[in-house]
Amino acid sequence: MWSRLVRTFRTGRHDADIEAELQFHLDMDVADGRSRREARLRLGNVARIHEETREAGILEWLDSVLRDIRFGLRQLRRTPGLSIAVVLSLAIGIGANTAIFSLVDAALVRPLPVTDPDSLRLVIWTSHAFPPGADNVNGEFRPIGGGRYQSAAIPAYVYRRLAGEQPANRPLIGFGAETDAVAIAADGRPAEQVRVQYVSANFFQALGAPPVYGRPFRDDDDRVGGEPVVVVSHRFWITQLGGRSNVLDGTVRVNTVAARIVGVAPPRFFGLRAGEWPDVFAPLAAKVAFQTNANPGEPRGEDDKNWWVRLIARMPPESSEAAATTELGARFRSLAVPDGINVTSADVPELSMRPGRHGVDGLNSQEADALWILMRLVGVVLLIVCVNVANLLLSRAVGRQRESAVRLALGAARSRLLRQHLLESALLALLGGIGGLLVGNVLALAIHQLFETGRDASNAFDLRLDPRVLAYTAGLSILTAVLFGLIPALRASRADLNDVLKAQAKAVTGGLPRLPRLLVSIQIALCLGALVAAGLLGRSLEKLRATDIGFDRHNLAYASVSPSRAGYRTDQIKTYVDRVTSELAHLPGVVRVSPVQTRLLAGGGNHASLNVPGRPYQPGVGANLNSVGEEFFETMGIPLLAGRVVRSADVHPDSEAVVVDELFVKQFFPDANPLGRRFGMGPNDSGRYEIVGVAANSRYNSLRDAAVPNFYMPYHPGGTVHFVIRTAMDASAMAETVRRTIAAVEATVPLTEFHTQSGLIDRQLRTERLLSFVSAAFGLIALMLAAIGLGGLLAYFIARRTSEIGVRIALGASAVDVISLVLRDSMSIVLTGILLGLPCAYAIGRSLRSTLFRLEPLDPLTAALSLAALLTVALAAAWVPARRAATISPIAALREE
Amino acid sequence: MPKAELQGALELLVLKSLRRGPNHGFAIASYIQQASDDVLRVEAGSLYPALHRMTEAGLISAGWQLTDAGRRARVYAITAKGRRKLDADGKRWQAVASAVARILRAT
Repeated sequence: MWSRLVRTFRTGRHDADIEAELQFHLDMDVADGRSRREARLRLGNVARIHEETREAGILEWLDSVLRDIRFGLRQLRRTPGLSIAVVLSLAIGIGANTAIFSLVDAALVRPLPVTDPDSLRLVIWTSHAFPPGADNVNGEFRPIGGGRYQSAAIPAYVYRRLAGEQPANRPLIGFGAETDAVAIAADGRPAEQVRVQYVSANFFQALGAPPVYGRPFRDDDDRVGGEPVVVVSHRFWITQLGGRSNVLDGTVRVNTVAARIVGVAPPRFFGLRAGEWPDVFAPLAAKVAFQTNANPGEPRGEDDKNWWVRLIARMPPESSEAAATTELGARFRSLAVPDGINVTSADVPELSMRPGRHGVDGLNSQEADALWILMRLVGVVLLIVCVNVANLLLSRAVGRQRESAVRLALGAARSRLLRQHLLESALLALLGGIGGLLVGNVLALAIHQLFETGRDASNAFDLRLDPRVLAYTAGLSILTAVLFGLIPALRASRADLNDVLKAQAKAVTGGLPRLPRLLVSIQIALCLGALVAAGLLGRSLEKLRATDIGFDRHNLAYASVSPSRAGYRTDQIKTYVDRVTSELAHLPGVVRVSPVQTRLLAGGGNHASLNVPGRPYQPGVGANLNSVGEEFFETMGIPLLAGRVVRSADVHPDSEAVVVDELFVKQFFPDANPLGRRFGMGPNDSGRYEIVGVAANSRYNSLRDAAVPNFYMPYHPGGTVHFVIRTAMDASAMAETVRRTIAAVEATVPLTEFHTQSGLIDRQLRTERLLSFVSAAFGLIALMLAAIGLGGLLAYFIARRTSEIGVRIALGASAVDVISLVLRDSMSIVLTGILLGLPCAYAIGRSLRSTLFRLEPLDPLTAALSLAALLTVALAAAWVPARRAATISPIAALREE
Repeated sequence: MPKAELQGALELLVLKSLRRGPNHGFAIASYIQQASDDVLRVEAGSLYPALHRMTEAGLISAGWQLTDAGRRARVYAITAKGRRKLDADGKRWQAVASAVARILRAT
């Protein structure tokens, strides 16, 4: 069959054969005594004969394949129920895999939408301490073990010096390590919060993604004091600017600054981080211009001590990468430390390169792990589907043994029969694959939605059916066709007329055939694995949710505003915060309101290294820090155990009153009354803060990690202001009222975010929720398929043994006897499956270990629940055919003989 | 006669000639011509397409062999399926042919 396929599509070889054959004919004619001319005339038009000969062969083959396909379709139509069951389960299995793969593809596999992504290198650095001369390091600053730290961000001026000396074929691209939130107003509409990505002047050209309209940035755009310019994203252009063609040289207001639009980025271009879609691109230097009225102490764009620019470099294949890295690293080391700071060379960060094909990781490692876990789970589901379909087809193949045997006896080639059966599987797989694409698309969007809960609108992965996803689905369909089609096909093509005729007699006494039994057992084993995975992930989520957070999470919400973006100074913010607090507190349904600097369990926050008198100072040992209004503890419902709350009057130039929590006392003042004791922040301060109150413990920013001590300063106005609101009813219902109230206080300061506390917690747990939800869905599918597999097998088995059961009943077997006969048989299948499944379930559990929260892979409750669910469903699935067996009428059964 | 019937007749003749043993296309054509006392002349333009069609249909098999003269020739042989077809169609053909002859004789 392969050679014929090859011949159909690559006809060269075949053509030569025909050529030689016709030449031979001609020569023979000449040898017969004719002249060459006469012979050629007798032969006729060689080209035409050639063509017709070739077509005759191919047409005959295509014709037989078409006949097989028509026959196959007729066969499928003859058993519509079975065919639909097969196609549906294939669609579910393939669809689930397509869905997860398209997520994995968009988030982890697909390269950046730029030219030659393989030549990109992300530049990172490592150092053994916080780099000297830096106040603030963005760009994933984190410990990497061995006392070293890793980050990727450097100061803007260092970037410009480095980039300026790079050769033209190895451009160095700079971009903000994080996108910044800005208020943007276009066309005189009210301001909206969007994300801006600051980029170097060479960003668009060096990545090979020039704007579709207008121009990329130029070197003179990236200059402090120059006219602010922006390139808007394609999406922003369409949705906010109406896709107008005269958009160039128009202006948008960024925070309070007018900026000229010089270009529109290409569609589907998101920059360097998959899953994040900046709305606006601006030169690095524009960060200073857009940062109107930064708070004192807030890092500024061009500040040498603010390390916020990440680097990605192009390394053409011909350049010697190691030498280029060394050279860049040496120049960086000479620039990284400002003059006048005395450091040993070991303190200076060292550069290294990472593959930049995918840009900056769009997912954190936990989320990436979750996707790979889902990949494994859908793999298990697909296996179950294959086994199920194989069994369905097997039972049909057995039913068609007579047909196969007759065809064989009449001289059909075994290969032809095998082809016929494989072709039918392929047809089913094709239909299943098409269904799978549909299911997969819907499922991917649903899972994506779940994955993105709580992230803002500019976060989304570029989900689409690109060639990779299509190829994956097609490959999967072919693989499944072979997996589920081969056994029944081999079985059918081996059919022997004698056996088939004898089988009629065997059926009277024979039990279930071995192979289908084993397949159902395997299905149950895989199902157990899927159930245990779902159980572990679900229980883990429950445990996380049940973590004691120290306050009442219900009827609690946070409203957020950024008055500094509207140009407010610190003293103005203070007045503004007081006004909003009192306005919100008077709303009907609001119980209490307090400003707060860090929302609890929202995922962020500040940790301070503490300097406690009488204890050695250790960087990294300290407490989480929050800055809260007077009413904070009452609003949250965190009990104050001793002392008093803090107010703004407690802030003095060199001292400040604070409230600490019990854990803080236990760790830093274990054996004394903490009230009145003092401590400081950082190595040089040991007494600024005086403890005036002790509050109960609460969770700060993580449910998963061990609890960390907290302390609370009086409210310092500045930056983003959050108001925590305790309501008398469902807090989410307040969103609109709060928005209007805040807009009424000051039209230039819009509500930027509104989240309920439960919403924030859900957002923190979104990976766990995703895993738990999807694995539960897959567990249910697996359970359903196992039930169908077992029930179908038993039904088939009972149909084959109708006469035997009829005889048993005629001889006095009671309904209970018959039912227990069937149930005993099915339980032996189920138990075999469970025995096979236990190691499989343990392996799946172990692979989840790092994701589980306070749960062992061998969690007894999960195991018990999974087994109970499996046994219950198996019993139910067996009960229906067993009941039917018990009601077989012996007379009808015997008449059938 | 419809084209399909003529084609069927050619196939029958090819099968019949191969019944005597495997042979190449030229020899098949020569045999048919001789055995019919030069009445039936098989055109190369019909013969080779038919041979390839029949190979694909599994009535005959094909392979390259060296002739006595040391030349490479594509040689065809009848298969079991071809034999059965020859028996069945041959009988049918004879029945039809004699029926047609009877009708033509009757006046």
